[in-house]
Amino acid sequence: MFKRMLRSFAGKVLADDTSQPLSQIDFLRDFLSRHKYVFTTDFEENLMVLKRKHLVDSFLVTNLDGSIVVSTEGDGHTEGIMGTAMLSYIKSEMPDSESVLIKRQGHWFMLFPLNKKVFIVKAGSELSNIELKALAFELDGLMQVNKQSEKKRVNQVA
Amino acid sequence: MARVIAVASGKGGTGKTTITANLGIALARLKQKVLLIDADVAMANLSLILGMQSSPITLHDVLLGEAQVHDAIYDGPEGVRFIPSGLSLDNYKRVDSERLAGVVSQLNDEYDFILLDVAAGIEKNVLSALSASQETLMVTMPTSPAIADALKTKIVAQRLGSKVIGVVINFVMSEKGEISKNDIANMLELPVYGNVPYDPEVRKSFMQEKVAPVIVRKPDCPASEEITRIASRITGLKSEPVKAKKSGFFEQLLSLFKKKK
Repeated sequence: MFKRMLRSFAGKVLADDTSQPLSQIDFLRDFLSRHKYVFTTDFEENLMVLKRKHLVDSFLVTNLDGSIVVSTEGDGHTEGIMGTAMLSYIKSEMPDSESVLIKRQGHWFMLFPLNKKVFIVKAGSELSNIELKALAFELDGLMQVNKQSEKKRVNQVA
Repeated sequence: MARVIAVASGKGGTGKTTITANLGIALARLKQKVLLIDADVAMANLSLILGMQSSPITLHDVLLGEAQVHDAIYDGPEGVRFIPSGLSLDNYKRVDSERLAGVVSQLNDEYDFILLDVAAGIEKNVLSALSASQETLMVTMPTSPAIADALKTKIVAQRLGSKVIGVVINFVMSEKGEISKNDIANMLELPVYGNVPYDPEVRKSFMQEKVAPVIVRKPDCPASEEITRIASRITGLKSEPVKAKKSGFFEQLLSLFKKKK
């Protein structure tokens, strides 16, 4: 019994030649700090946060007629009209299709319809349908919050 | 409505499947209706840990649209219910894991907890499981590679809209070089739900003629006790200590002879 205790003590204290990898701990702490996505009340700023969070270059939300609702890259009229036209053509040929992915000049254009809008996403690598859906849902949520706060602001002014 | 919790880690070999199986049983002991789903459609082995490897209808069949989800549910240990994944490589290739969210939503009203055993990595199967869950419980080890992968998985889970509720630290040996519980909590910015010690009894549970999770075989070993505490933390319910069935002298003697065969 005593021998076993002594062996266990020796194993734990004397033979334990390990030490904490402190530089790696700092490295990992820094890694997470670079992936903080804090949303504010500023809609434009939130769009930039969303872009970083979902690792995409830009996105565009249009109505089904191609008119722009939200854009992170200027007015985006051409891409909006092209995207919705392409999606409506594919939907007419394959009504149960969920999303459209196009690779062009090393970039991916992804089209995803949700709540009578078309989400057009541009990124360096393709997003899976799951990721695309998550981005569209989050962006749609942000748009709704923004719409409500805009309405509140207008009411307060009135 | 069930709480759908994905048990994920990023890194392989952290003990996700063992934690999922034992945590499910610990939750069932707290009178919760529990369903375990082996969401690791490529490398399924939750059924082996539960000792339920011969299940004819699996999640593969459900995801392929060839079986109804209720036909793939089996009775596991201590009232836990279980959907296994198949071991077939052919079916794995044909399976559309994106359908998992639809499968889970069909079962939402029937259980208090649905635990998804998520594969390692951040490939499509993992994304499907994370997006099918509302919450994610991370499992890691007190070493930097495991924590680095846990960090990445946490970020991916958040991106997919799953709330990361906490972390379970597994294989704790209390060596000087292990990253401490507080450091892990700070690094992952998550509460630590449990500190499961390295326990040889966990390994021994796989080395029986009839495999059973450690919490069933040795409910009073240190790992089982900590997993029971994790279940209490998740539910907010107090758990009663479960004592292991002590075998008598003759039973032990008999088992010695059995081993020599």
